[in-house]
Amino acid sequence: MRPRRARWRHRLLLALVTLYSLFPIYFITVQSLKTPQEDVFGNPLWIAAPTFENYTELFEGGEARARGFVVLPRVPFLLWVANSALVLAGTLAVTLACALLAAYALGRLQPPGWRWWRRLLFATYVVPHTILFIPIYQVVLRLGLDDTPSALVLIYSAMALPFCVWVLSAYYRHLPREIEESALVEGASRLTAFLRILLPLSRNVLVAAGLFTLGTVGQDFMLASIFLLDRDKQTVAAGLGVMDVSLEELVAVAGVNLAAIPVVILCAAFARGYVRGLTAAMVEGA
Amino acid sequence: MVTAYLLLAPATILLLGVLAYPVGWEAWISLTDLSPLNVRGPRFVGLQNYRAMLAEPFFWRAVAVTAVYFAVTTAAKLALGLAMALLLLRPSRLRPLVFLAVFLPWAYPGGVSVVAWYWMLNPPLITSYSVLAGSMKYAVDGLLGGGAWAFLSVALFNVWRGGSFTAVFLLAGLNAIPTELFEYAALETHTAWQQLRHVTLPLLRPFLALAVFLSFTTAFADLANVWMLTGGRVIFPVIGTYAYWLGIRNGAIGEAAAWSLSLVPLLAAALVGLFRWFDPREERTA
Repeated sequence: MRPRRARWRHRLLLALVTLYSLFPIYFITVQSLKTPQEDVFGNPLWIAAPTFENYTELFEGGEARARGFVVLPRVPFLLWVANSALVLAGTLAVTLACALLAAYALGRLQPPGWRWWRRLLFATYVVPHTILFIPIYQVVLRLGLDDTPSALVLIYSAMALPFCVWVLSAYYRHLPREIEESALVEGASRLTAFLRILLPLSRNVLVAAGLFTLGTVGQDFMLASIFLLDRDKQTVAAGLGVMDVSLEELVAVAGVNLAAIPVVILCAAFARGYVRGLTAAMVEGA
Repeated sequence: MVTAYLLLAPATILLLGVLAYPVGWEAWISLTDLSPLNVRGPRFVGLQNYRAMLAEPFFWRAVAVTAVYFAVTTAAKLALGLAMALLLLRPSRLRPLVFLAVFLPWAYPGGVSVVAWYWMLNPPLITSYSVLAGSMKYAVDGLLGGGAWAFLSVALFNVWRGGSFTAVFLLAGLNAIPTELFEYAALETHTAWQQLRHVTLPLLRPFLALAVFLSFTTAFADLANVWMLTGGRVIFPVIGTYAYWLGIRNGAIGEAAAWSLSLVPLLAAALVGLFRWFDPREERTA
């Protein structure tokens, strides 16, 4: 009798956690599918007559146009999606490349002072980037990256890097020396040993670092809307971030919901690897 | 050895350029009266900005609110995250789906979650649930003072999203604990509560410390994101947004820099404490 009750209690808790996690997303999606009439008089949790107006608007907005008496800014949504993909790809490349190099040095070569170096690199994570944007803008200006996606690539990489270096170097540090040494004895260079042996082993940790980077890029709205002003160069976050606060926000929700589809698929595909990677980084070289 | 430092160079240069240099610039600017309103250019004023800041009664209130915000959201994230991680640890057929649901609040692109929470709690237009949200707002504001509800909504948002990350992170930590230890613990302790307190929590300690560390950063970022997306309609009595307000709206960039930096000693102290927990000298580290 008792295990059965415990099982039901477990299922109930799982259902509650799911509800709690998904409710805000569900709630705003419902609002974004409503007609203005239903928005005012309908049920907040349900839609009687869904409309995709907010979603189709995104694809019709290539030119500035009027809705009622309001002139709406251009919404080149597909361009924004392409820019976002570009920024994400760039950030992943820069972050993972820098993180792998640094993690190999800190975890395998361990030069004098590596422990403090590792701590210092990680400590930069706690600096609140959002209040540093004035000086960061100066760096961007000096590098001639003003109003280009590369500026965002640099900033996002700097935001994701500390965690990625920490996790990857923890993994390399705990991995037994012998794994690499047998290859070195047989005459392989350090580089081949790294590419052939260490890199494939750290696949899951790389997935963890990559998903973390994806999350970091996906979460930002503020920096994107500060650093990208040209409407044709903006990412989804930058473009939607500067929409009119009250009139257009549901269009913004529609946009982010559409942009979320690939993100959710990626997460579903890699979520397992993410947890495995984090676990692997934390225990001795599992 | 030279190779090791060369490998560390890209990551270090990136973090120096995008983070250390801006912090240094901020520190220098906090000693001047830089402002676009000053036509004659910035002048060195020594510690005057800091003196003015410390004399401001609002500063101490902001420090207290910021500290409470950090402490409360972090505690809530840890408690919720631990509960969800323990729930997900038990094998069940529903686990992959629930896991994805728990993962989503963190992975979902920032905009939707920000707008969702803000709209849910502070509807900007007349919608079917504004009366309910409005009454709650006045009840809370009446009890705790103006702006309390808006602030609470940010805190809730941060707990929702950060708790998701913490849960996945702690799940990875729990996976790293050998199952034999749990089996042994089940024999030695009488209640589940005892097991949690005397076995699980001590073993999870490095992961908990790391989670606290990561929580600080997102707590800050969320504050800024919500503030930005709502067009700065609400000034929360916390350091970050007040600094932004001083710098952008009032043009007192020097003074704003002093405010921004006032948190650095607090964060540094927290860091030194946390490093002792999650990166101790002995082998067992996170």
